Amino acid sequence: MIKQPQPLPESHPLSRIRQFFQHGDLLWRAILVLISILVLALMLSIGWMLWQSSSNARTIFGLSFLLPTTDASWDPVNNLFQAWPFIYGTLLTSLVALLLALPVSLGIAIFLAELCPDWLRTPLNWLVELLAAVPSVVYGLWGLFVFLPMVVAPLGTNLAAVFGQIPLFAGPVTSSGASRLGAALVLSVMIIPTIAAISRDVLLAIPNSQREASLALGSTQWETIWQVLIPYGLSGILGAVILGLGRALGETMAVTMVIGNSIETSASLLRPGYTMASIIANEFAEAVTQLHSEALIEVGFVLFVMTLLLNMLARFLVWRVASRTPQEARV
Amino acid sequence: MNKKFFVVFAVLAIASMLLSACGAPATPAAPVAPEVQTQVVVQTQVVEKIVQVTPTADMSKPTDMPAGSVTVNGAGATFPAAVYADWAYAYQYVDPSVVINYQGIGSGGGKKAIVDGTVDFAGSDSLLADADYTNGKDLQMYPTLGGAVVLIYNIKLAKPLPTPAAGATAVTLPALVLDRQTLVDIFNSKITKWNDPAIVKLNSAWADYLPATDIVTVHRSDGSGTTEIFTKALASFSADWKAGGAQSVEWPKGNNVGGKGNAGVAASVINTPGAIGYVELNYALSNSLAYASLINQAGKTIVPNNASVQAAMAGAQFSDKMTATIVDSKDPAAYPIAGFTYLILHTTNMKDCVKAQKILEFWKWAETDPSAQSRVVKLGFSPLPAADSKLMLDGLSKVACNGAPVLK
Repeated sequence: MIKQPQPLPESHPLSRIRQFFQHGDLLWRAILVLISILVLALMLSIGWMLWQSSSNARTIFGLSFLLPTTDASWDPVNNLFQAWPFIYGTLLTSLVALLLALPVSLGIAIFLAELCPDWLRTPLNWLVELLAAVPSVVYGLWGLFVFLPMVVAPLGTNLAAVFGQIPLFAGPVTSSGASRLGAALVLSVMIIPTIAAISRDVLLAIPNSQREASLALGSTQWETIWQVLIPYGLSGILGAVILGLGRALGETMAVTMVIGNSIETSASLLRPGYTMASIIANEFAEAVTQLHSEALIEVGFVLFVMTLLLNMLARFLVWRVASRTPQEARV
Repeated sequence: MNKKFFVVFAVLAIASMLLSACGAPATPAAPVAPEVQTQVVVQTQVVEKIVQVTPTADMSKPTDMPAGSVTVNGAGATFPAAVYADWAYAYQYVDPSVVINYQGIGSGGGKKAIVDGTVDFAGSDSLLADADYTNGKDLQMYPTLGGAVVLIYNIKLAKPLPTPAAGATAVTLPALVLDRQTLVDIFNSKITKWNDPAIVKLNSAWADYLPATDIVTVHRSDGSGTTEIFTKALASFSADWKAGGAQSVEWPKGNNVGGKGNAGVAASVINTPGAIGYVELNYALSNSLAYASLINQAGKTIVPNNASVQAAMAGAQFSDKMTATIVDSKDPAAYPIAGFTYLILHTTNMKDCVKAQKILEFWKWAETDPSAQSRVVKLGFSPLPAADSKLMLDGLSKVACNGAPVLK
């Protein structure tokens, strides 16, 4: 006969400890808290590192590093650095890309979620997701050898001919098509699948009762989509836009390959430009002087802060939208 | 469909396995006997490498260390990376006991790595800062080889070339010729059209064909030793060049674009009618790109090749740090945009004396072995002239480990 171990008396110190860990709740909670703190610590340490290792550049150039100027210099020989052309390039290309991508991806999402016949849905879904998984350097190569000469160069030339008076569309366009417009278009192609795939999932997650109710009230399909489904899923769609914007802001390889990497004085979309991520990728490995690498790190810091701010702004928008929609309508 | 795919895949996989098997030393355990000429022919259409090991004094004592027992890591300039990789490959047959790795991460990265002590040797096109010599870092630069930076161009002709009469050879245009001032003016955006009188005057054969289109200058967007050689040459050519000479410079505002790496510059030039850019000679050669001849200081039109770079190197005046600038040479036969690339070593405080010996033996072999030197020319670079080579070897013989010279 097997002898059962006697349970320890309640007063025994070991039993207290065992009780403490008995269900693992506490342990689990501790691990999860630790992991969440890790994310926070990681963010802070990245920020701190960038801040710390750009201290000389920050003290020497001060605010002039960031301020808009038409005659910015980025001169590693004489150690004069101003980051405005890169800040402008990043903001312009990302925002234009987002503007171009948003209607297209929303259209794709609506079609896939609401209108698409079943036999077409699976292959289309699959293709959209595949597009999101293409490495950026492939987009860069395609952009450089196909998209720039075949689409961007003629498009840019025509835009410059028609709207040339507006500073944003001032020419001349380089014959290869390398331009901020090219970068924005390639970026928009890159973020369309991200926004479209998430927005589609958001729309699909909306309960059918909403559609049925709307149709029962006599709405057309278009009215149902536009006045019921889109507002219902707005916070989710905004989340998709944030992800798309994040990709556009930080994209390095594809942009470097098509934007022309030139520090331009003009504000035109049709001229070559430069972005923050590109200048870091291009020059960091060969930054010889201390100040040059510190200036590049400061550019990295600006990019980091800008991404944080834009994300916070977008979060705020989501929160505003969400707080306006009724509780049960949130996705 | 799937099956077919699989078969193709399998064939590829087997082929790659065979390739890698042939690529490595056939019997890694057995050292190659010095008298034997090792011939390894990789049996594919794509790669055909013949390694001929010429016996040298060093090899009279074949190493008794097991194959691959010493790993030497180097990193740095991309400019000579093709040659260093080729040398490292061939050296496996000379001394199987040592494996040499070289990563082309850029001169700046290489210098950082050797100062931090993460690599055993570094390659660099740019010079060490004075502080790196003085603050107990015991570093020394040695020239290893020279190379030229050439101008590639993409000119859409103003009118098509005449069709040749039956039997006659097709009409072709000679290589574009530029002089030093014109080149500076082009990169300063002072000359902006291809049919500018300054260009037409230098290229009478092109007179009817040079178009009235804009010139787009293409530069390296990444920091690079190639840029340093090129911009130092521009600075030497004319006082009009204000941007200075460095690995990254502030390019004059104008119709310019930047491409990443030699490949990026070449792609931009090929894609942009009216473009002119600079790449290493070996890159232009291996990709069959047309490149311009330059009129040097002595007024002679010079094609960039081994001979004209040799001429530039022959006039090199080495400083006491064993470095020299050879752009804009006065020699009438010299190509004006050329430069040395350097090896950086610790001279006194290498810890591992066996490794130190292996490193120095490798570099001595690279600089003295005829087959190693012929590889340099084949790849579009130029080996050091005898005097410079002697200077370098003298320098290497001074490297010491634990107070004793490494090379006996």
